Amino acid sequence: MDGFALCATNAMVGNSLAAAALEWALGGGTVRFERDCAFAIGGASARASLSGRMVAPCTTTYASAGTELSVEQITGGRFLYLAVNGGIDVPLLLASRSTYLPGRFGGYQGRTLKNGDAVPVAERESEAPAEGFHCAADLLPRYDSGIVHATRGTQEELFDESDWLTITESEYRVSTASDRTGYRLEGPALRNSLGALPSESSCPGAIQITGDGLPIVLMSDAPTVGGYPKIAVVSEADLPILAQRRPGEGIRFALTSIEQSQRAHRRRLADLHTISQQASRSTAG
Amino acid sequence: MRTQLRAHPLGDSAITIAFGAERSPELLRQIHSTARALEAAKIPHVEDIVPAYLAVTVFYDSLHASYEEMASILLERCDRSQQSASPESLVKDHRIPVRYDGVDLEWVCSSTGLSTEEIAARHSARIYTVDLLGFVPGFAYLSELDVSLQLPRRAQPRPRVARGSVAIAAAQTAVYPLDTPGGWHIIGSTATVMFDPTRDPPALLSPGDRVSFERVK
Repeated sequence: MDGFALCATNAMVGNSLAAAALEWALGGGTVRFERDCAFAIGGASARASLSGRMVAPCTTTYASAGTELSVEQITGGRFLYLAVNGGIDVPLLLASRSTYLPGRFGGYQGRTLKNGDAVPVAERESEAPAEGFHCAADLLPRYDSGIVHATRGTQEELFDESDWLTITESEYRVSTASDRTGYRLEGPALRNSLGALPSESSCPGAIQITGDGLPIVLMSDAPTVGGYPKIAVVSEADLPILAQRRPGEGIRFALTSIEQSQRAHRRRLADLHTISQQASRSTAG
Repeated sequence: MRTQLRAHPLGDSAITIAFGAERSPELLRQIHSTARALEAAKIPHVEDIVPAYLAVTVFYDSLHASYEEMASILLERCDRSQQSASPESLVKDHRIPVRYDGVDLEWVCSSTGLSTEEIAARHSARIYTVDLLGFVPGFAYLSELDVSLQLPRRAQPRPRVARGSVAIAAAQTAVYPLDTPGGWHIIGSTATVMFDPTRDPPALLSPGDRVSFERVK
């Protein structure tokens, strides 16, 4: 859901950006490391400790075999990422190690993790950074801004002036009906609540306007085609900002051009490479 | 038939090429033909091609190619493909064995006034075309269902429809590839594997393919 945090925590432990890690959604829990390793947590903010010592987010931390990372509470945001040097070692399926929950395949046996699961970690390919390596805050998305950029959607001509004003000038709140499939938003309804159209391809970030005139933003596990008109699509650079908004928290949409949106997307990747470079300059060995 | 093609970004990493404003079997055939031609062209940076009723959407690596570059290349390719017919050899035919034993058969009988025998006969008499894939991996919307079998989908979807369920709704029929919620009327079942993530390609059916059902006891 927050692809930036997934990549960034990987960078902080010396993994390639696309290595597999754990996505931890709200709630506390404990993970025991069965061997010495370097790890990092990021994305959401959390009250977390390793054998009683506080663990800072976005910071390379070393754990010795048998120690436990205890996440007491996620205090801000909703998806916490845990990356371990070497990467999570589950089989590749459709060229990915991720879990597709609706289909119950991929990842760790196609399901969320339960108490007692032993999650394999691959042998490390490269050095992790030194203990305490920390990612600069200005390289991270501005999660607290709540500003989510978006490009106009494929049905833009079906919406009128009042709709565009509503969608860009209003604050919307993420509702409790929000999960990996989509985030329903609460706020002013658009006037033009059109019925269903012939199904068309959609993508994560697509802002659908349903029959009641309210937006639903499709997220990672959404169906790939749909018939609701799309007023806009969230810029990939800002999907992490939306993804980390808890139910009840607000966002505002800001329209942008495709050129600026793609530029922002490339900038995020450049920032991730900067984190990787800084990390490799700070290796323990 | 040549139509005016229009390109539009679908977010940062996809482009939707619109072929027309009204559904028709002819338009869909053209879209499928173009989608096959785009696949065969192996255009650099293209990651996925998704045909639908009025448009084709092409997903691409936008970190290495801009919208302007890709839209230009794709429009030119689509335009070219409209001028020549695409190889029909890429379209596959499938026979799916079905046991007509679905939980909704009785309801369909009473709603249509047809017997189970007639429903099975009419459903298995046709050759269907795969309109598009969507909803979940491997779910293929098949057209066109016999008019006498056309019923609106269920008011309340079931929380779980078993993998392999053969179902109907409105003017289409489909086989559920996974255990999922579902709102279509279940008239039968098949052991045919519609989706297997370890197979290549994982989905049995592709847009444009032809499908017929063969009744088995």
